[in-house]
Amino acid sequence: MQHLDHDRLVFLALGESEADNGESTHLGTCALCRAEVASLQQVAGLGTETQGLADLPDPPEHVWQGIEAQVRAAEAGPLLTDTRRRRVPEQADTTTAEQTFGAAAESTVTRLDPARRSRRGRGWSGWMATAVTAAAAAAVGVVGTVSVLRPDDPTPTPTPVVVASAPLAAYGATPPTAKGDARVLKDGQLHLHVANLPSVAGYYEVWLINPTTMEMFSVGTLGGGSDALLPLPPNVDLKSYSVVDVSAEQYDNNTRHSGDSLLRGSLTG
Amino acid sequence: MTALRQEPDPPVDDLDRRFRAGDDVALREAYDRYGRAVLHLATSMLANRSDAEDVTQATFVAAWLGRDTFDPAKGSLIGWLLGIGRRKVIDRMRASARETRVVETVRQLPEPAQTQPDPDRVVDRLVIADELARLPDDQRRMLELAFYDDLTHQQIATVTGVPLGTVKSHIRRGMASLKRRWEVDGAAPGPRPAGISGTR
Repeated sequence: MQHLDHDRLVFLALGESEADNGESTHLGTCALCRAEVASLQQVAGLGTETQGLADLPDPPEHVWQGIEAQVRAAEAGPLLTDTRRRRVPEQADTTTAEQTFGAAAESTVTRLDPARRSRRGRGWSGWMATAVTAAAAAAVGVVGTVSVLRPDDPTPTPTPVVVASAPLAAYGATPPTAKGDARVLKDGQLHLHVANLPSVAGYYEVWLINPTTMEMFSVGTLGGGSDALLPLPPNVDLKSYSVVDVSAEQYDNNTRHSGDSLLRGSLTG
Repeated sequence: MTALRQEPDPPVDDLDRRFRAGDDVALREAYDRYGRAVLHLATSMLANRSDAEDVTQATFVAAWLGRDTFDPAKGSLIGWLLGIGRRKVIDRMRASARETRVVETVRQLPEPAQTQPDPDRVVDRLVIADELARLPDDQRRMLELAFYDDLTHQQIATVTGVPLGTVKSHIRRGMASLKRRWEVDGAAPGPRPAGISGTR
């Protein structure tokens, strides 16, 4: 079958010309040409939606600073060196980076081919071995629910001593530049790093919250610096208490959460 | 050298290759070039600006640490970055839905539900915009007049003073490039018709 000239398909798709009788007849019977016109129409539709996309605003500088810091931390860690040695022989799709490096959704495993699964399996088991020996071994349970938590901290762990981590983001009326990171270290401490917290009349308090039951407990308070190491109870179940919250508190003789959350994030292993 | 070429070759650009190879400055270059697109994808989908910035950051970190898995032969760097960003956006939306329950209870301040655009559509749009920006000037100008100003080819010829046949030729070639790029880097799932080759 003689297909329509591609030029004609383009102009038909753009509505620039009308199909003549012969063309209409052909389009009526040729799925290939019809599909091509439909694709070109899609492209033209997308084209009309690109207005303004040529001059999008730059991301704020702290985004780049965060990238730099995370990359530096990750590349300094021995785990990553090991990870990067593992070349990927087969071709990767757009998600492989996350499957390799992130706490990616476990559900994606079923889509992986056997080679990739075993490669991933090695990576996880090595890492799991570290985690299992940890004092905060309860955090291991987090791995199983990682797909529904917050799996977007792409660094596996800056160093092997981190068994779970959470990027902390500004909440609500908190200025969006406020942010932080929480890391559960294998010695059972919670490492908090915060930046740009708004100044408050009272003090900052760190909480772990169980999102299912809404039970929570206070881990401690932040000092004046950007980093704090807070001991966790050795038997804490981080699978349940998976949300890290930093609140603004008053010296008001009220030990409950003030309701004024500044930062929050979900731990993932 | 006075000979002018009607359509200069696109500038030699080996950023994709250098990114894959881990070149020292390639991450910054990629960010300078595509950070805006990734952030746009994230802000289009996520109500919380801070979440969008986090996703942008996480996308570039994951891409850099996972650069071994990027194959420039299979698609462009921006297409690959947007693919990672798209997944991270979706993950974040799921996480937010979960966290919202926590914080609502803590703060008693429910956030209004947002109607979300389709992430695939946003990605496709950004891919097409990127390709449009790479087209030779003439092709881009003609297509912008057709897309944004909704001019017919005859009107474009009148406005620009370019002969109608040349207008049509630019548009035809530009459309072919956009479509090829979309087929390689677009996000929309499902098979696409192979199309009819040999359009150049």
